[in-house]
Amino acid sequence: MAILDIHQVSLSFGGLKALQNVNLKVEKGTTHALIGPNGAGKSTLLNVLTGMLKPDDGSVMFDGKPLLNVNSFDINQLGIAKVFQTPAVFPELTVLQNVTIPVFAARDGSFNLNMFEGRSKQRPLIEFAEQQICELGLENHMHSLASSLSRGDKRRLEMAICLANKPQLLLLDEPTAGMARHETEKTIELLNSMQDGITKVIVEHDMNVVFSLAEKISVLAQGQIIAEGSPDEIKGHPKVIEAYLGEAQV
Amino acid sequence: MTKQANFWQYNKVVLVFALIALTMPFWFPLMGGYSGLDTKIMIFCIFVVGFDILLGFTGYLSFGHAAFFGIAAYTTGIMLKSFSDNILPAMFVAVLLATLVSVMVGLLTLKRTGIYFSILTLAFAEMFHSMAMAMLQTWTGGENGLTGMPTPMLFDIKMQGASVFYFVTIVAIILFYVAKRIERSPVGLLMKAIKSNQTRLEYTGINARKYKLLAFVISAFYAAVAGALMVVYEPFVGHEFLGWHQSGEVVIMSVIGGVGTLIGPMLGAGFMLYFENVLSVDLGEQWLLVLGAIFMAVVIFMPGGFMEGIARLKKRYFTTVDGE
Repeated sequence: MAILDIHQVSLSFGGLKALQNVNLKVEKGTTHALIGPNGAGKSTLLNVLTGMLKPDDGSVMFDGKPLLNVNSFDINQLGIAKVFQTPAVFPELTVLQNVTIPVFAARDGSFNLNMFEGRSKQRPLIEFAEQQICELGLENHMHSLASSLSRGDKRRLEMAICLANKPQLLLLDEPTAGMARHETEKTIELLNSMQDGITKVIVEHDMNVVFSLAEKISVLAQGQIIAEGSPDEIKGHPKVIEAYLGEAQV
Repeated sequence: MTKQANFWQYNKVVLVFALIALTMPFWFPLMGGYSGLDTKIMIFCIFVVGFDILLGFTGYLSFGHAAFFGIAAYTTGIMLKSFSDNILPAMFVAVLLATLVSVMVGLLTLKRTGIYFSILTLAFAEMFHSMAMAMLQTWTGGENGLTGMPTPMLFDIKMQGASVFYFVTIVAIILFYVAKRIERSPVGLLMKAIKSNQTRLEYTGINARKYKLLAFVISAFYAAVAGALMVVYEPFVGHEFLGWHQSGEVVIMSVIGGVGTLIGPMLGAGFMLYFENVLSVDLGEQWLLVLGAIFMAVVIFMPGGFMEGIARLKKRYFTTVDGE
């Protein structure tokens, strides 16, 4: 069953057609990679999914519900979380506070007037946040400020934030960009070990990462899906080679 | 830990504040403070604590909070003059009106961030200021201010001298306690997250706009309570109450004391009013110059304000093994 159904989505910035009639179905529980040369429209597509950009045309359905014209926070409440290219955390808050936020968001929804409830008295919620932090290996930084973490640890913290309100779909925008080899490998391990049932859509340049994670790959070029299939099918696909290397070298 | 010990631990700051505030009439004159100044300090403590919920938590710098302070002051004055000399109905109507105005102003100004937000709030406050000066002159007294109020009463108690001080101080303690509760609640954490990374917060399922508006309205409510109390303290409302100078003073108090700490801005308020009214006697007209120098020194060397200074001293002299 497709958990995410993108149908005929088009979006232009002025004269530039960033997305042209994009159709994409993501099956529940799979890891689906989006690859393509720079400027192909991969990040634009992710931004459409998170409500940041409104397409000119087309529809996006998530778990049977429409996603267009829905606020970013409501999209998150529906079960879509996004991992940014540069780890997006709350730098001035502690690691535990960072992860407590999505835990409260999961319990209270996007807005709740519980101004007089003591946070520290919510033991089960705090414990759940602590558990998430431990699962991502940050237990030694529980009370450190997020700004003091290394880049790799910030990425882990961001994952912990995203996973703490139990999303069904995780969008990852180049999660290993700018990482050293060993950190990349750690991230692959982390993504592979993530609890079952979460669907992942990953935009990535590093083919090593793509081929070690994805079950299905879609290739975008100039705002259009030019190929789709399993990693093996994509590897030798003539259109893909053409898009990446240019016609002359085929 | 027993329940009592827990309570003490949890409310230590509020209890210490209450103790210092309630004993003020005994020790404040010893350092040269005239009677009445302590009341004014308490009123501004209320103003800045509320302001810190906006500036300190969400990071939105308003240059227009005098609007809510002034609107509440004028309304209280008019109510006392024409309705009843009992302060409770006057304060209730005043605070309600100013808070409702803040919902409208907040909805419009919070569409922008940073300097644009600050300028919008300033523009709104100036608008109210000129309205008080011209359009609404018959009610506000325009340039001359609103005068001729009867002695405010709290049922049978004349609100003069000590009774005003204790009334104001009790309100200040309650509102400080409320602010502390908000800080420790999920709402307090989410407000601080707005300052830290608003995009991440939206992508974590939180409607940041509503929380910003909430912080704005709460801070306006505090400003309104302070404004209403100002009239109870001294039955006069001047147009300066609505002026940009008033808004700026609150910002300076907050920054000097330490933004985001709740207690810091109150220290700032106390320091500034003491400085303005007591130390300035020795310095004469030059006191603003000295204040400017102090403000610059704090911003440059102690961006966290007095609270940062206190934290540094604590670290230096009282650090134990577990860093407590």
